[in-house]
Amino acid sequence: MEMTEQFEKTARDIEERIRPQIEDAKKKVLDLNSQVVSYIKENPGKCLLGALAAGYIIGRIARR
Amino acid sequence: MASSESGAPNGQRAEAASGAAGALTVGQRFDRASDNAQEAWSRTRETVNDIKDRLDIEGRVARNPYGMIAAALGVGYVLGGGLFSPLTARLVGFGMRMGLKLAAIPFLENELRGLTESVLNGAGESEESSEGGERKSHRARGTNKGR
Repeated sequence: MEMTEQFEKTARDIEERIRPQIEDAKKKVLDLNSQVVSYIKENPGKCLLGALAAGYIIGRIARR
Repeated sequence: MASSESGAPNGQRAEAASGAAGALTVGQRFDRASDNAQEAWSRTRETVNDIKDRLDIEGRVARNPYGMIAAALGVGYVLGGGLFSPLTARLVGFGMRMGLKLAAIPFLENELRGLTESVLNGAGESEESSEGGERKSHRARGTNKGR
């Protein structure tokens, strides 16, 4: 019983320690996503041409 | 004298006339060329605007930004000649395997469920039948004993 309680306590401690970091990382990823989407919407031509060029280069490398 | 007097102005006039005609034609040609260039430019702009309106690239990007970027990447990849390459073969193979696995999992689940149900039903029926058989044999024994 003591072992189980100890395990539970350790797991709870780890969760409490990790949870804020996970929440922070989630927030950062969501912010980055919204920034990327807004940039693409503001500069569609530039982004599409860049993606086209990147795809072309990847295709050229893959053909070798 | 008169002829020389009159000839010189005439020659000058002729030169002037021919010069004026030449300048006019060059000017006219220049005007015509610039008009044509302007017309061609305006037509090109109209065509480009028409194509832009019809394709609605900005709207599509606004609606689905990542999809459009992926499509542009794919078009660039194909233009770069990567379509018939080992990397494409590997990617397609991996995708096929994943798709087959994902399609097979629900199918296998259904099959297993059906199999377990049939096994359980069969076991229940066999238990009932065996119980019934035992009862019958008990009855038969009872009748035999009675005899």
